[in-house]
Amino acid sequence: MNVRRRPARRSAPEPAPPKRARAPRQTAGARLGRWRDHHLYGLLSSLGRLAVRPLATVLTVTVLGVALALPLLLQAALDNLRAFSGGLREAREITVFLDPDVAAAAAAEIAAGWRARPDVAEVIVRTPEQGLAEFRQLSGFSEALEVLDSNPLPTVLVVAPAGAAAEGGDGALVAAIEADARVDLVQHDAAWRRRLTAIMTLGERAAVALAALFGLATLLVVGNTVRLDVQSRAEEIAIMQLMGAGDGFVRRPFLYAGLWYGLLGAVVAILIVLAMHLALRDALAQLIASYGGQLTVRGIAPTALLATLAGGAALGWLGAWIASTRQLRRTA
Amino acid sequence: MIRFEQVAKRYPGGHDALIDLSFTVAAGEMVFVTGHSGAGKSTLLKLLSLVERPTRGSVHVDDVDLSRVRRRRVPQVRRGIGMVFQDHRLLMDRSVFDNVALPLVIAGAPRAEAAKRVRAALDKVGLLAREKAAPTLLSAGEQQRVGIARAIVGKPPLIIADEPTGNLDPQLSVGIMQLFAEFAQVGTAVLVASHDLHLIKRMNQRVLVLDHGRLIDDFRPQAAA
Repeated sequence: MNVRRRPARRSAPEPAPPKRARAPRQTAGARLGRWRDHHLYGLLSSLGRLAVRPLATVLTVTVLGVALALPLLLQAALDNLRAFSGGLREAREITVFLDPDVAAAAAAEIAAGWRARPDVAEVIVRTPEQGLAEFRQLSGFSEALEVLDSNPLPTVLVVAPAGAAAEGGDGALVAAIEADARVDLVQHDAAWRRRLTAIMTLGERAAVALAALFGLATLLVVGNTVRLDVQSRAEEIAIMQLMGAGDGFVRRPFLYAGLWYGLLGAVVAILIVLAMHLALRDALAQLIASYGGQLTVRGIAPTALLATLAGGAALGWLGAWIASTRQLRRTA
Repeated sequence: MIRFEQVAKRYPGGHDALIDLSFTVAAGEMVFVTGHSGAGKSTLLKLLSLVERPTRGSVHVDDVDLSRVRRRRVPQVRRGIGMVFQDHRLLMDRSVFDNVALPLVIAGAPRAEAAKRVRAALDKVGLLAREKAAPTLLSAGEQQRVGIARAIVGKPPLIIADEPTGNLDPQLSVGIMQLFAEFAQVGTAVLVASHDLHLIKRMNQRVLVLDHGRLIDDFRPQAAA
Protein backbone atom coordinates (compact mmCIF):
# COMPACT_ATOMS: atom_id res chain seq x y z
CA MET A 1 0.00 0.00 0.00
CA ASN A 2 1.01 3.56 -0.35
CA VAL A 3 2.19 4.98 2.89
CA ARG A 4 4.37 8.12 3.11
CA ARG A 5 3.34 11.59 2.03
CA ARG A 6 1.26 13.32 4.62
CA PRO A 7 -1.55 15.21 2.97
CA ALA A 8 0.79 17.77 1.63
CA ARG A 9 0.81 21.50 1.84
CA ARG A 10 -2.61 22.97 2.49
CA SER A 11 -3.54 26.50 1.77
CA ALA A 12 -5.65 28.38 4.26
CA PRO A 13 -9.21 27.04 3.89
CA GLU A 14 -11.59 29.50 2.39
CA PRO A 15 -14.60 30.30 4.52
CA ALA A 16 -17.65 28.53 3.23
CA PRO A 17 -20.64 30.78 2.79
CA PRO A 18 -23.15 29.76 5.43
CA LYS A 19 -25.96 28.99 3.01
CA ARG A 20 -25.77 27.71 -0.50
CA ALA A 21 -28.57 25.19 -0.56
CA ARG A 22 -30.93 27.71 -2.07
CA ALA A 23 -29.27 29.03 -5.19
CA PRO A 24 -29.21 32.81 -5.49
CA ARG A 25 -31.47 34.36 -8.07
CA GLN A 26 -29.80 34.30 -11.44
CA THR A 27 -29.98 36.74 -14.28
CA ALA A 28 -31.36 35.61 -17.62
CA GLY A 29 -27.86 35.82 -19.07
CA ALA A 30 -26.42 33.51 -16.45
CA ARG A 31 -29.25 31.06 -16.99
CA LEU A 32 -28.70 31.14 -20.75
CA GLY A 33 -25.00 30.55 -20.17
CA ARG A 34 -25.76 27.57 -17.95
CA TRP A 35 -28.21 26.19 -20.49
CA ARG A 36 -25.61 26.53 -23.23
CA ASP A 37 -22.90 24.93 -21.07
CA HIS A 38 -25.16 22.02 -20.19
CA HIS A 39 -26.03 21.36 -23.82
CA LEU A 40 -22.42 21.73 -24.88
CA TYR A 41 -21.50 19.21 -22.20
CA GLY A 42 -24.21 16.80 -23.38
CA LEU A 43 -23.21 17.21 -27.01
CA LEU A 44 -19.50 16.66 -26.39
CA SER A 45 -19.90 13.72 -24.05
CA SER A 46 -22.34 12.06 -26.47
CA LEU A 47 -19.80 12.33 -29.28
CA GLY A 48 -17.16 10.97 -26.92
CA ARG A 49 -19.37 7.98 -26.14
CA LEU A 50 -19.88 7.22 -29.83
CA ALA A 51 -16.17 7.55 -30.50
CA VAL A 52 -15.12 5.32 -27.60
CA ARG A 53 -16.59 2.27 -29.34
CA PRO A 54 -16.19 2.97 -33.05
CA LEU A 55 -17.02 -0.54 -34.27
CA ALA A 56 -20.25 -0.76 -32.29
CA THR A 57 -21.21 2.72 -33.47
CA VAL A 58 -20.53 1.88 -37.12
CA LEU A 59 -22.57 -1.33 -36.85
CA THR A 60 -25.51 0.42 -35.22
CA VAL A 61 -25.43 3.23 -37.76
CA THR A 62 -25.26 0.75 -40.66
CA VAL A 63 -28.24 -1.22 -39.36
CA LEU A 64 -30.18 2.02 -39.06
CA GLY A 65 -29.05 3.05 -42.54
CA VAL A 66 -30.31 -0.18 -44.12
CA ALA A 67 -33.58 0.03 -42.22
CA LEU A 68 -34.19 3.60 -43.35
CA ALA A 69 -33.01 2.89 -46.93
CA LEU A 70 -35.61 0.18 -47.66
CA PRO A 71 -38.73 2.39 -47.56
CA LEU A 72 -36.80 5.10 -49.41
CA LEU A 73 -35.93 2.67 -52.18
CA LEU A 74 -39.51 1.47 -52.48
CA GLN A 75 -40.68 5.06 -52.68
CA ALA A 76 -38.13 5.80 -55.40
CA ALA A 77 -39.26 2.72 -57.35
CA LEU A 78 -42.90 3.83 -57.10
CA ASP A 79 -42.05 7.36 -58.22
CA ASN A 80 -40.35 5.99 -61.29
CA LEU A 81 -43.14 3.55 -62.03
CA ARG A 82 -45.74 6.31 -61.75
CA ALA A 83 -43.81 8.56 -64.10
CA PHE A 84 -43.36 5.66 -66.49
CA SER A 85 -47.01 4.66 -66.54
CA GLY A 86 -48.02 8.27 -67.03
CA GLY A 87 -45.82 8.28 -70.10
CA LEU A 88 -47.67 5.38 -71.63
CA ARG A 89 -50.21 7.46 -73.47
CA GLU A 90 -51.18 4.51 -75.59
CA ALA A 91 -52.71 2.88 -72.59
CA ARG A 92 -55.51 5.43 -72.66
CA GLU A 93 -56.13 5.16 -76.34
CA ILE A 94 -58.61 2.91 -78.07
CA THR A 95 -57.26 1.14 -81.10
CA VAL A 96 -59.90 0.37 -83.76
CA PHE A 97 -59.16 -2.04 -86.59
CA LEU A 98 -61.52 -1.40 -89.51
CA ASP A 99 -62.65 -4.07 -91.96
CA PRO A 100 -59.93 -4.55 -94.58
CA ASP A 101 -62.57 -3.71 -97.20
CA VAL A 102 -63.03 -0.17 -95.97
CA ALA A 103 -61.28 2.21 -98.32
CA ALA A 104 -59.11 5.11 -97.25
CA ALA A 105 -61.74 7.73 -98.07
CA ALA A 106 -64.37 5.88 -96.08
CA ALA A 107 -61.96 5.54 -93.18
CA ALA A 108 -61.37 9.30 -93.16
CA GLU A 109 -65.12 9.82 -93.15
CA ILE A 110 -65.53 7.53 -90.16
CA ALA A 111 -62.74 9.33 -88.36
CA ALA A 112 -64.38 12.70 -89.00
CA GLY A 113 -67.65 11.35 -87.63
CA TRP A 114 -66.04 10.22 -84.40
CA ARG A 115 -64.09 13.43 -83.99
CA ALA A 116 -67.40 15.23 -83.71
CA ARG A 117 -68.31 13.25 -80.56
CA PRO A 118 -67.82 15.17 -77.29
CA ASP A 119 -66.10 12.21 -75.61
CA VAL A 120 -63.41 11.98 -78.30
CA ALA A 121 -60.36 14.21 -78.20
CA GLU A 122 -58.58 13.01 -81.29
CA VAL A 123 -58.75 10.38 -83.96
CA ILE A 124 -55.58 9.43 -85.79
CA VAL A 125 -55.81 7.53 -89.03
CA ARG A 126 -53.13 5.00 -89.79
CA THR A 127 -53.29 3.76 -93.34
CA PRO A 128 -52.31 0.18 -94.13
CA GLU A 129 -49.16 1.54 -95.75
CA GLN A 130 -48.13 3.37 -92.61
CA GLY A 131 -48.92 0.25 -90.60
CA LEU A 132 -46.77 -1.86 -92.83
CA ALA A 133 -43.85 0.54 -92.62
CA GLU A 134 -44.12 0.69 -88.84
CA PHE A 135 -44.39 -3.06 -88.61
CA ARG A 136 -41.29 -3.43 -90.73
CA GLN A 137 -39.32 -1.06 -88.54
CA LEU A 138 -40.32 -2.44 -85.20
CA SER A 139 -40.50 -6.15 -85.60
CA GLY A 140 -37.59 -7.01 -87.80
CA PHE A 141 -39.96 -9.07 -89.92
CA SER A 142 -39.09 -7.04 -92.97
CA GLU A 143 -37.85 -10.03 -94.94
CA ALA A 144 -40.94 -12.07 -94.19
CA LEU A 145 -43.11 -9.12 -95.19
CA GLU A 146 -41.33 -8.88 -98.55
CA VAL A 147 -42.86 -12.22 -99.45
CA LEU A 148 -46.42 -10.91 -99.24
CA ASP A 149 -48.11 -9.93 -102.48
CA SER A 150 -50.40 -7.39 -100.99
CA ASN A 151 -50.68 -5.46 -97.78
CA PRO A 152 -52.77 -7.56 -95.38
CA LEU A 153 -53.12 -4.78 -92.83
CA PRO A 154 -56.38 -2.90 -92.32
CA THR A 155 -56.77 0.80 -91.72
CA VAL A 156 -56.37 1.56 -88.04
CA LEU A 157 -58.03 4.41 -86.23
CA VAL A 158 -56.49 5.45 -82.92
CA VAL A 159 -59.12 7.17 -80.78
CA ALA A 160 -58.06 9.29 -77.82
CA PRO A 161 -60.97 9.64 -75.39
CA ALA A 162 -61.77 13.05 -73.86
CA GLY A 163 -63.31 14.10 -70.54
CA ALA A 164 -64.74 11.35 -68.36
CA ALA A 165 -64.08 8.79 -71.08
CA ALA A 166 -60.35 9.45 -70.75
CA GLU A 167 -60.45 8.71 -66.99
CA GLY A 168 -61.68 5.20 -67.50
CA GLY A 169 -65.36 5.81 -68.13
CA ASP A 170 -65.06 4.96 -71.80
CA GLY A 171 -67.57 2.11 -71.81
CA ALA A 172 -70.17 4.03 -73.84
CA LEU A 173 -67.62 5.19 -76.39
CA VAL A 174 -66.25 1.68 -76.85
CA ALA A 175 -69.77 0.28 -77.22
CA ALA A 176 -70.59 2.88 -79.86
CA ILE A 177 -67.47 2.07 -81.81
CA GLU A 178 -68.05 -1.65 -81.60
CA ALA A 179 -71.62 -1.17 -82.87
CA ASP A 180 -70.31 0.25 -86.15
CA ALA A 181 -70.54 -2.46 -88.85
CA ARG A 182 -67.34 -1.30 -90.56
CA VAL A 183 -65.33 -2.01 -87.42
CA ASP A 184 -63.58 -5.34 -87.28
CA LEU A 185 -61.89 -5.25 -83.86
CA VAL A 186 -61.63 -2.84 -80.92
CA GLN A 187 -58.67 -3.02 -78.62
CA HIS A 188 -58.44 -0.94 -75.50
CA ASP A 189 -56.59 -1.28 -72.24
CA ALA A 190 -59.02 0.00 -69.67
CA ALA A 191 -58.85 -3.16 -67.60
CA TRP A 192 -55.06 -3.16 -67.65
CA ARG A 193 -55.01 0.49 -66.66
CA ARG A 194 -57.35 -0.11 -63.76
CA ARG A 195 -55.10 -2.93 -62.62
CA LEU A 196 -52.02 -0.71 -62.85
CA THR A 197 -53.71 1.99 -60.81
CA ALA A 198 -54.65 -0.59 -58.19
CA ILE A 199 -51.08 -1.88 -58.09
CA MET A 200 -49.73 1.64 -57.70
CA THR A 201 -52.14 2.36 -54.85
CA LEU A 202 -51.17 -0.89 -53.18
CA GLY A 203 -47.49 -0.05 -53.63
CA GLU A 204 -47.94 3.36 -52.06
CA ARG A 205 -49.76 1.87 -49.08
CA ALA A 206 -47.02 -0.73 -48.76
CA ALA A 207 -44.39 2.02 -48.82
CA VAL A 208 -46.16 3.84 -45.99
CA ALA A 209 -46.55 0.62 -43.99
CA LEU A 210 -42.88 -0.26 -44.57
CA ALA A 211 -41.79 3.22 -43.56
CA ALA A 212 -43.78 2.86 -40.34
CA LEU A 213 -42.30 -0.58 -39.65
CA PHE A 214 -38.73 0.47 -40.30
CA GLY A 215 -39.30 3.67 -38.36
CA LEU A 216 -40.30 1.45 -35.45
CA ALA A 217 -37.19 -0.66 -36.05
CA THR A 218 -35.06 2.50 -35.90
CA LEU A 219 -36.72 3.45 -32.64
CA LEU A 220 -36.04 0.01 -31.19
CA VAL A 221 -32.44 -0.21 -32.38
CA VAL A 222 -31.56 3.21 -30.97
CA GLY A 223 -33.57 2.51 -27.83
CA ASN A 224 -31.79 -0.77 -27.22
CA THR A 225 -28.35 0.71 -27.89
CA VAL A 226 -29.02 3.56 -25.50
CA ARG A 227 -30.50 1.19 -22.91
CA LEU A 228 -27.29 -0.87 -22.92
CA ASP A 229 -25.24 2.31 -22.74
CA VAL A 230 -27.24 3.52 -19.74
CA GLN A 231 -26.78 0.16 -18.03
CA SER A 232 -23.04 0.11 -18.60
CA ARG A 233 -22.85 3.59 -17.12
CA ALA A 234 -25.00 2.86 -14.09
CA GLU A 235 -22.17 3.65 -11.68
CA GLU A 236 -21.35 6.93 -13.38
CA ILE A 237 -25.02 7.89 -13.38
CA ALA A 238 -25.35 7.02 -9.68
CA ILE A 239 -22.36 9.24 -8.86
CA MET A 240 -23.76 12.11 -10.89
CA GLN A 241 -27.12 11.78 -9.17
CA LEU A 242 -25.43 11.90 -5.77
CA MET A 243 -23.59 15.05 -6.87
CA GLY A 244 -26.98 16.62 -7.52
CA ALA A 245 -27.47 15.93 -11.22
CA GLY A 246 -31.12 16.05 -12.25
CA ASP A 247 -32.74 13.73 -14.78
CA GLY A 248 -32.23 16.26 -17.54
CA PHE A 249 -28.50 16.48 -16.97
CA VAL A 250 -28.05 12.71 -16.85
CA ARG A 251 -30.27 12.13 -19.86
CA ARG A 252 -28.92 14.83 -22.16
CA PRO A 253 -25.79 12.99 -23.39
CA PHE A 254 -27.91 9.94 -24.20
CA LEU A 255 -30.43 12.04 -26.11
CA TYR A 256 -27.66 13.59 -28.16
CA ALA A 257 -26.21 10.12 -28.79
CA GLY A 258 -29.62 8.96 -30.04
CA LEU A 259 -29.81 12.02 -32.26
CA TRP A 260 -26.41 11.24 -33.78
CA TYR A 261 -27.35 7.60 -34.32
CA GLY A 262 -30.54 8.60 -36.16
CA LEU A 263 -28.87 11.32 -38.17
CA LEU A 264 -25.89 9.17 -39.19
CA GLY A 265 -28.27 6.30 -39.99
CA ALA A 266 -30.22 8.63 -42.30
CA VAL A 267 -26.98 9.70 -43.98
CA VAL A 268 -26.06 6.05 -44.57
CA ALA A 269 -29.57 5.38 -45.91
CA ILE A 270 -29.22 8.24 -48.38
CA LEU A 271 -25.82 6.96 -49.47
CA ILE A 272 -27.31 3.50 -50.03
CA VAL A 273 -30.13 4.95 -52.12
CA LEU A 274 -27.70 7.05 -54.16
CA ALA A 275 -25.50 4.00 -54.74
CA MET A 276 -28.50 1.95 -55.87
CA HIS A 277 -29.56 4.80 -58.15
CA LEU A 278 -26.12 4.88 -59.76
CA ALA A 279 -25.98 1.13 -60.10
CA LEU A 280 -29.45 0.72 -61.63
CA ARG A 281 -29.83 3.94 -63.57
CA ASP A 282 -28.41 2.80 -66.92
CA ALA A 283 -30.09 -0.59 -66.91
CA LEU A 284 -33.42 0.99 -66.03
CA ALA A 285 -33.05 3.70 -68.66
CA GLN A 286 -32.54 1.00 -71.30
CA LEU A 287 -35.61 -0.84 -70.11
CA ILE A 288 -37.69 2.32 -70.31
CA ALA A 289 -36.29 3.12 -73.76
CA SER A 290 -37.30 -0.33 -74.98
CA TYR A 291 -40.91 0.58 -74.14
CA GLY A 292 -40.52 3.69 -76.26
CA GLY A 293 -40.52 5.90 -73.16
CA GLN A 294 -38.58 9.12 -73.08
CA LEU A 295 -38.09 9.18 -69.32
CA THR A 296 -34.96 9.68 -67.30
CA VAL A 297 -34.66 7.66 -64.13
CA ARG A 298 -35.49 9.80 -61.13
CA GLY A 299 -33.50 9.93 -57.95
CA ILE A 300 -35.00 11.11 -54.68
CA ALA A 301 -36.24 14.64 -54.34
CA PRO A 302 -34.16 16.98 -52.11
CA THR A 303 -37.18 17.49 -49.86
CA ALA A 304 -37.42 13.73 -49.33
CA LEU A 305 -33.71 13.67 -48.42
CA LEU A 306 -34.20 16.44 -45.88
CA ALA A 307 -37.24 14.68 -44.49
CA THR A 308 -35.20 11.48 -44.13
CA LEU A 309 -32.48 13.31 -42.19
CA ALA A 310 -34.98 15.07 -39.95
CA GLY A 311 -37.02 11.89 -39.47
CA GLY A 312 -33.95 9.81 -38.63
CA ALA A 313 -32.72 12.34 -36.11
CA ALA A 314 -36.17 12.66 -34.53
CA LEU A 315 -36.60 8.87 -34.28
CA GLY A 316 -33.14 8.49 -32.74
CA TRP A 317 -33.85 11.20 -30.20
CA LEU A 318 -37.23 9.70 -29.34
CA GLY A 319 -35.81 6.18 -28.97
CA ALA A 320 -33.07 7.47 -26.69
CA TRP A 321 -35.60 9.44 -24.66
CA ILE A 322 -37.85 6.45 -24.10
CA ALA A 323 -34.97 4.14 -23.19
CA SER A 324 -33.10 6.55 -20.91
CA THR A 325 -36.25 7.72 -19.13
CA ARG A 326 -37.27 4.13 -18.42
CA GLN A 327 -33.82 3.28 -17.09
CA LEU A 328 -33.62 6.43 -14.95
CA ARG A 329 -36.96 5.66 -13.32
CA ARG A 330 -35.44 2.38 -12.24
CA THR A 331 -32.21 3.79 -10.80
CA ALA A 332 -33.55 6.93 -9.14
CA MET B 1 -27.75 22.80 10.50
CA ILE B 2 -28.96 19.21 10.89
CA ARG B 3 -31.91 18.20 13.03
CA PHE B 4 -33.13 14.60 13.42
CA GLU B 5 -36.45 14.25 15.26
CA GLN B 6 -37.51 10.78 16.39
CA VAL B 7 -36.35 9.30 13.15
CA ALA B 8 -36.99 5.63 12.44
CA LYS B 9 -36.06 3.72 9.34
CA ARG B 10 -37.36 0.26 8.64
CA TYR B 11 -36.23 -1.38 5.41
CA PRO B 12 -38.62 -3.48 3.38
CA GLY B 13 -38.37 -6.91 4.95
CA GLY B 14 -38.70 -5.60 8.47
CA HIS B 15 -35.11 -4.74 9.37
CA ASP B 16 -35.04 -1.73 11.70
CA ALA B 17 -31.95 0.27 10.73
CA LEU B 18 -32.68 3.30 12.90
CA ILE B 19 -34.97 3.58 15.92
CA ASP B 20 -36.16 6.83 17.51
CA LEU B 21 -33.11 8.85 16.61
CA SER B 22 -32.93 12.51 17.68
CA PHE B 23 -29.95 14.85 17.59
CA THR B 24 -28.83 18.18 16.16
CA VAL B 25 -25.60 19.29 14.57
CA ALA B 26 -24.67 22.97 14.40
CA ALA B 27 -22.94 24.71 11.52
CA GLY B 28 -19.18 24.45 11.89
CA GLU B 29 -19.46 21.32 14.01
CA MET B 30 -17.57 18.14 13.22
CA VAL B 31 -19.35 14.99 14.37
CA PHE B 32 -18.31 11.36 14.17
CA VAL B 33 -20.97 8.69 13.87
CA THR B 34 -19.70 5.37 15.09
CA GLY B 35 -20.92 1.92 16.03
CA HIS B 36 -20.50 -1.66 14.93
CA SER B 37 -21.19 -2.47 11.31
CA GLY B 38 -24.93 -2.59 10.70
CA ALA B 39 -25.59 -0.16 13.54
CA GLY B 40 -27.17 2.32 11.11
CA LYS B 41 -24.29 4.70 10.32
CA SER B 42 -24.70 4.45 6.57
CA THR B 43 -28.49 4.66 6.81
CA LEU B 44 -28.17 7.87 8.80
CA LEU B 45 -26.04 9.42 6.06
CA LYS B 46 -28.37 8.12 3.34
CA LEU B 47 -31.28 9.93 4.97
CA LEU B 48 -29.31 13.17 4.68
CA SER B 49 -28.48 12.63 1.00
CA LEU B 50 -32.08 11.55 0.31
CA VAL B 51 -30.98 8.17 -0.99
CA GLU B 52 -33.37 6.78 1.63
CA ARG B 53 -36.42 8.29 3.29
CA PRO B 54 -37.26 7.86 6.97
CA THR B 55 -40.17 5.60 7.90
CA ARG B 56 -41.10 7.91 10.79
CA GLY B 57 -39.89 11.23 12.18
CA SER B 58 -38.34 14.14 10.33
CA VAL B 59 -34.93 15.22 9.12
CA HIS B 60 -34.17 18.91 8.68
CA VAL B 61 -31.10 20.19 6.88
CA ASP B 62 -30.53 23.93 6.85
CA ASP B 63 -34.17 24.37 7.95
CA VAL B 64 -35.45 22.37 4.99
CA ASP B 65 -37.74 19.50 5.96
CA LEU B 66 -36.38 16.69 3.80
CA SER B 67 -39.64 14.74 3.96
CA ARG B 68 -41.27 17.57 2.01
CA VAL B 69 -38.68 17.47 -0.76
CA ARG B 70 -40.21 15.96 -3.87
CA ARG B 71 -38.27 13.75 -6.21
CA ARG B 72 -37.73 16.57 -8.67
CA ARG B 73 -36.16 18.77 -6.00
CA VAL B 74 -33.80 16.09 -4.65
CA PRO B 75 -30.88 17.12 -6.91
CA GLN B 76 -31.07 20.66 -5.57
CA VAL B 77 -30.78 19.42 -1.98
CA ARG B 78 -27.84 17.19 -2.90
CA ARG B 79 -25.98 20.12 -4.45
CA GLY B 80 -25.83 21.58 -0.94
CA ILE B 81 -24.08 18.50 0.44
CA GLY B 82 -20.51 17.43 -0.22
CA MET B 83 -20.30 13.64 -0.20
CA VAL B 84 -17.23 11.50 0.40
CA PHE B 85 -17.38 7.73 0.01
CA GLN B 86 -15.26 4.89 1.32
CA ASP B 87 -14.51 3.73 -2.23
CA HIS B 88 -14.22 7.40 -3.32
CA ARG B 89 -16.41 6.71 -6.41
CA LEU B 90 -14.41 8.70 -8.91
CA LEU B 91 -15.12 8.53 -12.63
CA MET B 92 -12.14 6.49 -13.75
CA ASP B 93 -12.36 7.53 -17.41
CA ARG B 94 -11.94 11.23 -16.62
CA SER B 95 -9.06 13.28 -15.37
CA VAL B 96 -8.65 14.42 -11.77
CA PHE B 97 -9.63 17.91 -12.86
CA ASP B 98 -12.83 16.72 -14.57
CA ASN B 99 -13.78 14.64 -11.53
CA VAL B 100 -13.44 17.57 -9.18
CA ALA B 101 -15.24 19.85 -11.65
CA LEU B 102 -18.25 17.51 -11.92
CA PRO B 103 -20.39 19.15 -9.19
CA LEU B 104 -19.74 22.56 -10.73
CA VAL B 105 -20.58 21.31 -14.23
CA ILE B 106 -23.81 19.88 -12.85
CA ALA B 107 -24.61 23.11 -11.02
CA GLY B 108 -23.81 25.01 -14.23
CA ALA B 109 -21.10 27.29 -12.83
CA PRO B 110 -19.45 29.53 -15.43
CA ARG B 111 -16.40 27.73 -16.80
CA ALA B 112 -13.71 30.25 -15.88
CA GLU B 113 -14.93 30.45 -12.30
CA ALA B 114 -15.27 26.65 -12.14
CA ALA B 115 -11.65 26.16 -13.22
CA LYS B 116 -10.50 28.55 -10.50
CA ARG B 117 -12.49 26.76 -7.83
CA VAL B 118 -11.36 23.31 -8.98
CA ARG B 119 -7.72 24.40 -8.68
CA ALA B 120 -8.38 25.94 -5.27
CA ALA B 121 -9.97 22.67 -4.06
CA LEU B 122 -7.13 20.57 -5.49
CA ASP B 123 -4.63 22.90 -3.88
CA LYS B 124 -6.35 22.44 -0.54
CA VAL B 125 -5.94 18.65 -0.68
CA GLY B 126 -2.40 18.99 -2.03
CA LEU B 127 -3.03 17.56 -5.49
CA LEU B 128 -2.82 20.63 -7.69
CA ALA B 129 0.10 19.12 -9.61
CA ARG B 130 -1.95 16.02 -10.54
CA GLU B 131 -4.95 17.73 -12.12
CA LYS B 132 -4.37 16.15 -15.54
CA ALA B 133 -3.70 12.65 -14.20
CA ALA B 134 -6.16 9.78 -14.53
CA PRO B 135 -7.48 8.64 -11.13
CA THR B 136 -6.18 5.12 -11.75
CA LEU B 137 -2.63 6.44 -11.64
CA LEU B 138 -3.09 7.84 -8.13
CA SER B 139 -2.51 6.07 -4.82
CA ALA B 140 -5.49 5.15 -2.64
CA GLY B 141 -4.86 8.14 -0.37
CA GLU B 142 -4.59 10.47 -3.32
CA GLN B 143 -7.79 9.11 -4.84
CA GLN B 144 -9.61 9.74 -1.58
CA ARG B 145 -8.27 13.28 -1.51
CA VAL B 146 -9.59 13.82 -5.05
CA GLY B 147 -12.94 12.63 -3.71
CA ILE B 148 -12.69 15.19 -0.92
CA ALA B 149 -11.75 17.96 -3.35
CA ARG B 150 -14.86 17.04 -5.33
CA ALA B 151 -16.97 17.23 -2.17
CA ILE B 152 -15.75 20.70 -1.18
CA VAL B 153 -15.45 22.32 -4.60
CA GLY B 154 -19.03 23.59 -4.47
CA LYS B 155 -18.45 25.01 -0.97
CA PRO B 156 -21.39 23.11 0.49
CA PRO B 157 -22.60 24.01 4.00
CA LEU B 158 -22.59 20.29 4.88
CA ILE B 159 -20.10 17.52 4.21
CA ILE B 160 -20.96 13.89 4.88
CA ALA B 161 -18.38 11.15 4.67
CA ASP B 162 -19.07 7.41 4.90
CA GLU B 163 -15.97 5.58 6.20
CA PRO B 164 -13.67 7.95 4.30
CA THR B 165 -10.57 6.27 5.71
CA GLY B 166 -11.84 2.70 5.56
CA ASN B 167 -9.28 1.72 2.95
CA LEU B 168 -6.37 3.82 4.18
CA ASP B 169 -3.55 3.22 6.61
CA PRO B 170 -3.58 5.08 9.95
CA GLN B 171 -1.14 7.79 8.98
CA LEU B 172 -3.06 8.76 5.83
CA SER B 173 -6.30 8.53 7.77
CA VAL B 174 -5.22 11.17 10.27
CA GLY B 175 -4.32 13.51 7.43
CA ILE B 176 -7.74 13.04 5.85
CA MET B 177 -9.55 13.63 9.15
CA GLN B 178 -7.50 16.77 9.79
CA LEU B 179 -8.69 18.05 6.43
CA PHE B 180 -12.29 17.54 7.54
CA ALA B 181 -11.59 19.29 10.86
CA GLU B 182 -10.29 22.30 8.95
CA PHE B 183 -13.48 22.52 6.91
CA ALA B 184 -15.48 22.44 10.16
CA GLN B 185 -13.38 25.29 11.52
CA VAL B 186 -14.50 27.55 8.70
CA GLY B 187 -18.20 26.93 9.29
CA THR B 188 -19.00 23.76 7.39
CA ALA B 189 -20.89 21.07 9.26
CA VAL B 190 -19.06 17.77 8.85
CA LEU B 191 -20.55 14.37 9.58
CA VAL B 192 -18.18 11.42 9.38
CA ALA B 193 -19.25 7.81 9.78
CA SER B 194 -16.35 5.70 11.01
CA HIS B 195 -15.71 2.64 13.14
CA ASP B 196 -12.07 3.55 13.76
CA LEU B 197 -12.22 4.35 17.48
CA HIS B 198 -8.52 5.15 17.83
CA LEU B 199 -8.74 7.70 15.11
CA ILE B 200 -11.92 9.19 16.59
CA LYS B 201 -10.34 9.57 20.00
CA ARG B 202 -7.36 11.26 18.50
CA MET B 203 -9.49 13.80 16.67
CA ASN B 204 -11.16 15.00 19.86
CA GLN B 205 -14.53 15.79 18.31
CA ARG B 206 -18.12 15.08 19.20
CA VAL B 207 -19.12 11.42 18.75
CA LEU B 208 -22.54 9.85 18.20
CA VAL B 209 -22.57 6.15 19.04
CA LEU B 210 -25.18 3.95 17.40
CA ASP B 211 -26.07 0.44 18.48
CA HIS B 212 -28.64 -1.59 16.56
CA GLY B 213 -30.17 1.61 15.24
CA ARG B 214 -30.41 3.40 18.60
CA LEU B 215 -28.37 6.38 19.69
CA ILE B 216 -26.72 5.12 22.88
CA ASP B 217 -24.17 7.84 23.45
CA ASP B 218 -23.43 11.43 22.39
CA PHE B 219 -20.21 12.71 23.87
CA ARG B 220 -17.12 14.74 23.27
CA PRO B 221 -13.93 12.98 24.37
CA GLN B 222 -11.92 15.12 26.76
CA ALA B 223 -8.31 15.87 26.07
CA ALA B 224 -7.45 13.31 28.72
CA ALA B 225 -8.69 10.47 26.56
